[in-house]
Amino acid sequence: MSGDSQETFGDFKDSFSYGSRSDLSFKFLKGLSHQEASEFLSVLLEEVGSLFDDGSTDALVDLVYEWQVRAYRPTTAAKRPYVYEDRPFHELTKSLGEMSVGLVTSSGHYMSDDRPAANAGLTQGEAFARIGEFLRRAPELSEIPVDAPIEDVEVLHPGYDIRSVVKDRGVALPIDLLDEARATGRIRRLVSPVYSFVGACSQGRLRNELDEWVARWKAAGIDALFLVPV
Amino acid sequence: MAVVVRSFRHVAEEMGYPRAVITRHPMGRPLGPPGDPDTQRQVIDAALDLLVSAPEGGSIVELEKPYRPMKSP
Repeated sequence: MSGDSQETFGDFKDSFSYGSRSDLSFKFLKGLSHQEASEFLSVLLEEVGSLFDDGSTDALVDLVYEWQVRAYRPTTAAKRPYVYEDRPFHELTKSLGEMSVGLVTSSGHYMSDDRPAANAGLTQGEAFARIGEFLRRAPELSEIPVDAPIEDVEVLHPGYDIRSVVKDRGVALPIDLLDEARATGRIRRLVSPVYSFVGACSQGRLRNELDEWVARWKAAGIDALFLVPV
Repeated sequence: MAVVVRSFRHVAEEMGYPRAVITRHPMGRPLGPPGDPDTQRQVIDAALDLLVSAPEGGSIVELEKPYRPMKSP
Protein backbone atom coordinates (compact mmCIF):
# COMPACT_ATOMS: atom_id res chain seq x y z
CA MET A 1 0.00 0.00 0.00
CA SER A 2 1.58 3.22 -1.07
CA GLY A 3 1.53 6.47 0.76
CA ASP A 4 3.72 9.38 1.65
CA SER A 5 3.19 9.16 5.40
CA GLN A 6 6.34 9.32 7.46
CA GLU A 7 4.69 7.81 10.51
CA THR A 8 7.12 5.87 12.68
CA PHE A 9 6.29 2.79 14.70
CA GLY A 10 6.41 5.00 17.77
CA ASP A 11 3.91 7.39 16.18
CA PHE A 12 1.70 4.42 15.34
CA LYS A 13 1.67 2.92 18.84
CA ASP A 14 1.16 6.34 20.45
CA SER A 15 -1.78 7.14 18.16
CA PHE A 16 -4.02 4.80 20.19
CA SER A 17 -3.76 7.14 23.17
CA TYR A 18 -5.82 10.22 22.30
CA GLY A 19 -4.32 10.32 18.82
CA SER A 20 -5.49 9.55 15.34
CA ARG A 21 -6.44 5.95 16.24
CA SER A 22 -7.65 6.65 19.77
CA ASP A 23 -8.94 3.44 21.38
CA LEU A 24 -9.00 3.56 25.13
CA SER A 25 -8.76 -0.21 25.48
CA PHE A 26 -5.36 0.05 23.81
CA LYS A 27 -4.13 3.45 24.98
CA PHE A 28 -1.64 1.52 27.11
CA LEU A 29 0.48 0.99 23.99
CA LYS A 30 1.82 4.52 24.45
CA GLY A 31 3.45 3.52 27.72
CA LEU A 32 5.21 0.50 26.24
CA SER A 33 8.68 0.50 24.77
CA HIS A 34 8.98 -0.26 21.06
CA GLN A 35 10.13 -3.76 21.92
CA GLU A 36 7.23 -4.36 24.29
CA ALA A 37 4.68 -2.97 21.84
CA SER A 38 6.14 -5.13 19.08
CA GLU A 39 5.90 -8.19 21.31
CA PHE A 40 2.29 -7.45 22.18
CA LEU A 41 1.20 -6.84 18.60
CA SER A 42 3.00 -9.95 17.41
CA VAL A 43 1.26 -12.19 19.93
CA LEU A 44 -2.05 -10.40 19.31
CA LEU A 45 -1.89 -11.19 15.61
CA GLU A 46 -0.87 -14.77 16.35
CA GLU A 47 -3.95 -15.19 18.52
CA VAL A 48 -6.14 -13.61 15.82
CA GLY A 49 -4.83 -16.27 13.44
CA SER A 50 -5.63 -19.03 15.91
CA LEU A 51 -9.24 -18.00 16.21
CA PHE A 52 -9.72 -18.58 12.47
CA ASP A 53 -9.64 -22.26 13.38
CA ASP A 54 -11.07 -22.53 16.88
CA GLY A 55 -13.33 -19.49 16.89
CA SER A 56 -12.45 -18.72 20.49
CA THR A 57 -11.67 -15.19 21.61
CA ASP A 58 -10.68 -16.30 25.13
CA ALA A 59 -6.95 -16.09 24.48
CA LEU A 60 -7.33 -12.65 22.89
CA VAL A 61 -9.23 -11.30 25.88
CA ASP A 62 -6.70 -12.79 28.30
CA LEU A 63 -3.80 -11.36 26.30
CA VAL A 64 -5.22 -7.82 26.34
CA TYR A 65 -6.00 -8.03 30.06
CA GLU A 66 -2.49 -9.27 30.91
CA TRP A 67 -0.86 -6.52 28.89
CA GLN A 68 -3.09 -3.84 30.43
CA VAL A 69 -1.97 -5.05 33.87
CA ARG A 70 1.66 -5.07 32.75
CA ALA A 71 1.45 -1.63 31.14
CA TYR A 72 -0.35 0.11 34.00
CA ARG A 73 1.87 -1.24 36.78
CA PRO A 74 4.39 1.51 37.58
CA THR A 75 7.96 0.35 37.23
CA THR A 76 9.67 3.21 39.02
CA ALA A 77 9.04 5.35 42.07
CA ALA A 78 8.81 8.36 39.77
CA LYS A 79 5.64 6.92 38.31
CA ARG A 80 3.98 6.75 41.74
CA PRO A 81 2.75 10.30 42.37
CA TYR A 82 0.99 9.46 45.63
CA VAL A 83 2.21 7.57 48.70
CA TYR A 84 -0.31 5.88 50.95
CA GLU A 85 0.97 5.27 54.45
CA ASP A 86 -2.03 3.85 56.25
CA ARG A 87 -4.68 1.22 55.73
CA PRO A 88 -7.97 2.80 56.91
CA PHE A 89 -10.48 0.37 58.32
CA HIS A 90 -13.70 0.50 60.30
CA GLU A 91 -15.20 -2.63 61.75
CA LEU A 92 -18.84 -3.47 61.23
CA THR A 93 -21.25 -2.22 63.86
CA LYS A 94 -24.29 -3.95 62.38
CA SER A 95 -25.04 -6.96 60.21
CA LEU A 96 -25.14 -6.72 56.44
CA GLY A 97 -28.91 -7.18 56.53
CA GLU A 98 -29.18 -4.07 58.71
CA MET A 99 -26.95 -1.91 56.52
CA SER A 100 -27.78 1.01 54.26
CA VAL A 101 -25.34 0.74 51.36
CA GLY A 102 -24.35 3.62 49.10
CA LEU A 103 -22.91 3.27 45.59
CA VAL A 104 -20.26 5.59 44.18
CA THR A 105 -18.58 5.09 40.81
CA SER A 106 -16.08 7.06 38.75
CA SER A 107 -17.73 5.76 35.59
CA GLY A 108 -19.11 9.11 34.44
CA HIS A 109 -22.83 8.31 34.61
CA TYR A 110 -25.41 11.08 34.99
CA MET A 111 -29.12 11.78 34.53
CA SER A 112 -29.91 12.94 31.00
CA ASP A 113 -31.74 15.98 32.39
CA ASP A 114 -28.88 16.90 34.75
CA ARG A 115 -25.77 16.73 32.62
CA PRO A 116 -22.50 17.82 34.28
CA ALA A 117 -21.36 21.23 33.09
CA ALA A 118 -18.05 19.81 31.87
CA ASN A 119 -19.90 17.45 29.51
CA ALA A 120 -22.31 19.99 28.10
CA GLY A 121 -22.85 19.44 24.39
CA LEU A 122 -19.95 16.97 24.06
CA THR A 123 -19.99 13.65 22.34
CA GLN A 124 -17.69 10.90 23.62
CA GLY A 125 -15.34 11.60 20.70
CA GLU A 126 -15.27 15.31 21.49
CA ALA A 127 -14.52 14.49 25.11
CA PHE A 128 -11.47 12.50 23.97
CA ALA A 129 -10.14 15.61 22.26
CA ARG A 130 -10.52 17.57 25.50
CA ILE A 131 -8.94 15.06 27.86
CA GLY A 132 -6.45 17.69 28.99
CA GLU A 133 -9.28 19.99 30.06
CA PHE A 134 -11.01 17.20 31.94
CA LEU A 135 -7.81 16.33 33.81
CA ARG A 136 -7.50 19.93 35.03
CA ARG A 137 -11.11 20.24 36.17
CA ALA A 138 -12.71 19.63 39.54
CA PRO A 139 -15.03 16.61 39.50
CA GLU A 140 -18.80 17.02 39.49
CA LEU A 141 -20.76 14.49 41.52
CA SER A 142 -23.90 13.34 39.70
CA GLU A 143 -26.89 11.91 41.54
CA ILE A 144 -28.83 9.02 40.01
CA PRO A 145 -32.03 7.83 41.69
CA VAL A 146 -32.10 4.10 42.29
CA ASP A 147 -35.38 3.87 40.36
CA ALA A 148 -34.19 5.97 37.42
CA PRO A 149 -35.27 4.38 34.13
CA ILE A 150 -32.33 2.94 32.22
CA GLU A 151 -33.06 5.19 29.25
CA ASP A 152 -32.68 8.31 31.44
CA VAL A 153 -29.14 7.47 32.59
CA GLU A 154 -26.30 8.39 30.26
CA VAL A 155 -22.53 8.06 30.42
CA LEU A 156 -19.63 10.09 29.11
CA HIS A 157 -16.03 9.61 30.15
CA PRO A 158 -12.88 10.40 28.19
CA GLY A 159 -10.68 8.07 30.24
CA TYR A 160 -11.89 4.54 29.48
CA ASP A 161 -13.60 2.53 26.77
CA ILE A 162 -17.31 3.00 27.54
CA ARG A 163 -18.60 0.63 24.86
CA SER A 164 -19.42 -2.09 27.39
CA VAL A 165 -21.06 0.20 29.91
CA VAL A 166 -23.21 1.78 27.18
CA LYS A 167 -24.54 -1.70 26.41
CA ASP A 168 -25.12 -2.54 30.08
CA ARG A 169 -24.78 -0.08 32.93
CA GLY A 170 -24.28 -2.97 35.32
CA VAL A 171 -20.73 -3.31 33.97
CA ALA A 172 -19.70 -0.32 36.10
CA LEU A 173 -22.87 1.09 37.72
CA PRO A 174 -24.44 -1.89 39.50
CA ILE A 175 -27.64 -0.16 40.61
CA ASP A 176 -29.93 -2.98 39.53
CA LEU A 177 -28.11 -5.87 41.18
CA LEU A 178 -27.47 -3.94 44.39
CA ASP A 179 -31.20 -3.15 44.44
CA GLU A 180 -31.78 -6.87 43.96
CA ALA A 181 -29.61 -7.45 47.05
CA ARG A 182 -31.94 -5.09 48.88
CA ALA A 183 -35.04 -6.89 47.58
CA THR A 184 -33.70 -10.26 48.76
CA GLY A 185 -32.82 -8.88 52.18
CA ARG A 186 -29.06 -9.22 51.72
CA ILE A 187 -28.77 -5.54 52.58
CA ARG A 188 -31.39 -3.38 54.26
CA ARG A 189 -31.29 -0.50 51.81
CA LEU A 190 -29.58 0.75 48.68
CA VAL A 191 -29.44 4.45 49.43
CA SER A 192 -30.96 6.67 46.77
CA PRO A 193 -29.53 8.50 44.94
CA VAL A 194 -26.39 6.66 43.91
CA TYR A 195 -23.44 8.77 42.85
CA SER A 196 -21.08 8.94 39.90
CA PHE A 197 -18.41 11.26 38.57
CA VAL A 198 -15.82 11.35 35.82
CA GLY A 199 -12.67 9.95 37.34
CA ALA A 200 -10.58 11.64 34.64
CA CYS A 201 -10.38 14.89 36.61
CA SER A 202 -7.84 16.83 38.63
CA GLN A 203 -6.87 14.44 41.42
CA GLY A 204 -5.89 17.34 43.65
CA ARG A 205 -9.28 18.98 43.17
CA LEU A 206 -10.95 15.63 43.76
CA ARG A 207 -9.21 15.47 47.13
CA ASN A 208 -10.57 18.93 47.93
CA GLU A 209 -14.14 17.76 47.29
CA LEU A 210 -14.01 14.63 49.40
CA ASP A 211 -14.83 16.10 52.82
CA GLU A 212 -18.03 17.62 51.44
CA TRP A 213 -18.92 14.47 49.54
CA VAL A 214 -18.39 12.27 52.62
CA ALA A 215 -20.55 14.65 54.68
CA ARG A 216 -23.34 14.25 52.09
CA TRP A 217 -23.07 10.48 52.18
CA LYS A 218 -23.14 10.39 55.97
CA ALA A 219 -26.16 12.72 55.99
CA ALA A 220 -27.88 10.31 53.58
CA GLY A 221 -27.56 7.58 56.20
CA ILE A 222 -25.00 5.46 54.36
CA ASP A 223 -23.42 2.79 56.56
CA ALA A 224 -21.10 1.31 53.93
CA LEU A 225 -19.91 2.50 50.54
CA PHE A 226 -19.74 0.22 47.51
CA LEU A 227 -17.06 1.90 45.40
CA VAL A 228 -16.40 1.18 41.74
CA PRO A 229 -13.40 3.06 40.35
CA VAL A 230 -13.11 2.61 36.60
CA MET B 1 -16.70 1.62 55.94
CA ALA B 2 -16.20 0.72 52.29
CA VAL B 3 -15.50 -2.00 49.78
CA VAL B 4 -13.97 -1.38 46.36
CA VAL B 5 -14.51 -3.43 43.20
CA ARG B 6 -11.90 -2.95 40.53
CA SER B 7 -9.43 -4.50 38.12
CA PHE B 8 -5.65 -4.26 38.58
CA ARG B 9 -4.60 -5.63 41.94
CA HIS B 10 -1.45 -3.54 42.14
CA VAL B 11 -3.54 -0.37 42.50
CA ALA B 12 -5.49 -1.82 45.42
CA GLU B 13 -2.27 -2.97 47.10
CA GLU B 14 -0.63 0.41 46.70
CA MET B 15 -3.62 2.49 47.81
CA GLY B 16 -4.45 0.33 50.83
CA TYR B 17 -8.21 0.23 50.38
CA PRO B 18 -10.07 -1.00 53.46
CA ARG B 19 -11.46 -3.90 51.41
CA ALA B 20 -11.09 -4.66 47.72
CA VAL B 21 -12.44 -7.28 45.35
CA ILE B 22 -10.23 -7.60 42.29
CA THR B 23 -11.68 -8.84 39.03
CA ARG B 24 -9.57 -10.10 36.16
CA HIS B 25 -11.46 -7.92 33.71
CA PRO B 26 -10.15 -5.56 31.05
CA MET B 27 -10.24 -1.88 31.88
CA GLY B 28 -13.72 -0.37 31.89
CA ARG B 29 -15.54 -3.57 32.83
CA PRO B 30 -15.01 -3.99 36.57
CA LEU B 31 -18.24 -5.88 37.37
CA GLY B 32 -18.21 -8.09 34.30
CA PRO B 33 -19.27 -8.40 30.67
CA PRO B 34 -22.37 -6.63 29.36
CA GLY B 35 -25.47 -8.79 29.45
CA ASP B 36 -23.96 -11.16 32.05
CA PRO B 37 -25.82 -10.56 35.31
CA ASP B 38 -24.64 -13.89 36.73
CA THR B 39 -21.00 -12.79 36.66
CA GLN B 40 -21.88 -9.31 37.88
CA ARG B 41 -23.91 -10.82 40.72
CA GLN B 42 -20.98 -13.06 41.74
CA VAL B 43 -18.75 -10.00 41.96
CA ILE B 44 -21.29 -8.09 44.04
CA ASP B 45 -21.77 -11.05 46.36
CA ALA B 46 -18.01 -11.34 46.85
CA ALA B 47 -17.83 -7.65 47.69
CA LEU B 48 -20.70 -7.81 50.17
CA ASP B 49 -19.12 -10.91 51.75
CA LEU B 50 -15.85 -9.03 52.12
CA LEU B 51 -17.62 -6.16 53.90
CA VAL B 52 -18.43 -8.69 56.60
CA SER B 53 -15.36 -10.91 56.59
CA ALA B 54 -12.41 -8.53 56.17
CA PRO B 55 -10.28 -8.63 59.33
CA GLU B 56 -8.23 -5.47 58.71
CA GLY B 57 -7.48 -2.67 56.27
CA GLY B 58 -5.89 -3.69 53.01
CA SER B 59 -7.96 -6.87 52.74
CA ILE B 60 -8.04 -8.09 49.14
CA VAL B 61 -9.98 -10.89 47.49
CA GLU B 62 -9.05 -11.60 43.88
CA LEU B 63 -11.63 -13.44 41.81
CA GLU B 64 -9.98 -15.92 39.49
CA LYS B 65 -12.74 -16.14 36.89
CA PRO B 66 -11.45 -14.67 33.62
CA TYR B 67 -13.49 -12.22 31.56
CA ARG B 68 -15.64 -14.09 29.10
CA PRO B 69 -18.07 -12.02 27.04
CA MET B 70 -21.48 -13.43 26.30
CA LYS B 71 -21.74 -15.00 22.86
CA SER B 72 -24.00 -13.17 20.43
CA PRO B 73 -27.09 -15.18 19.49
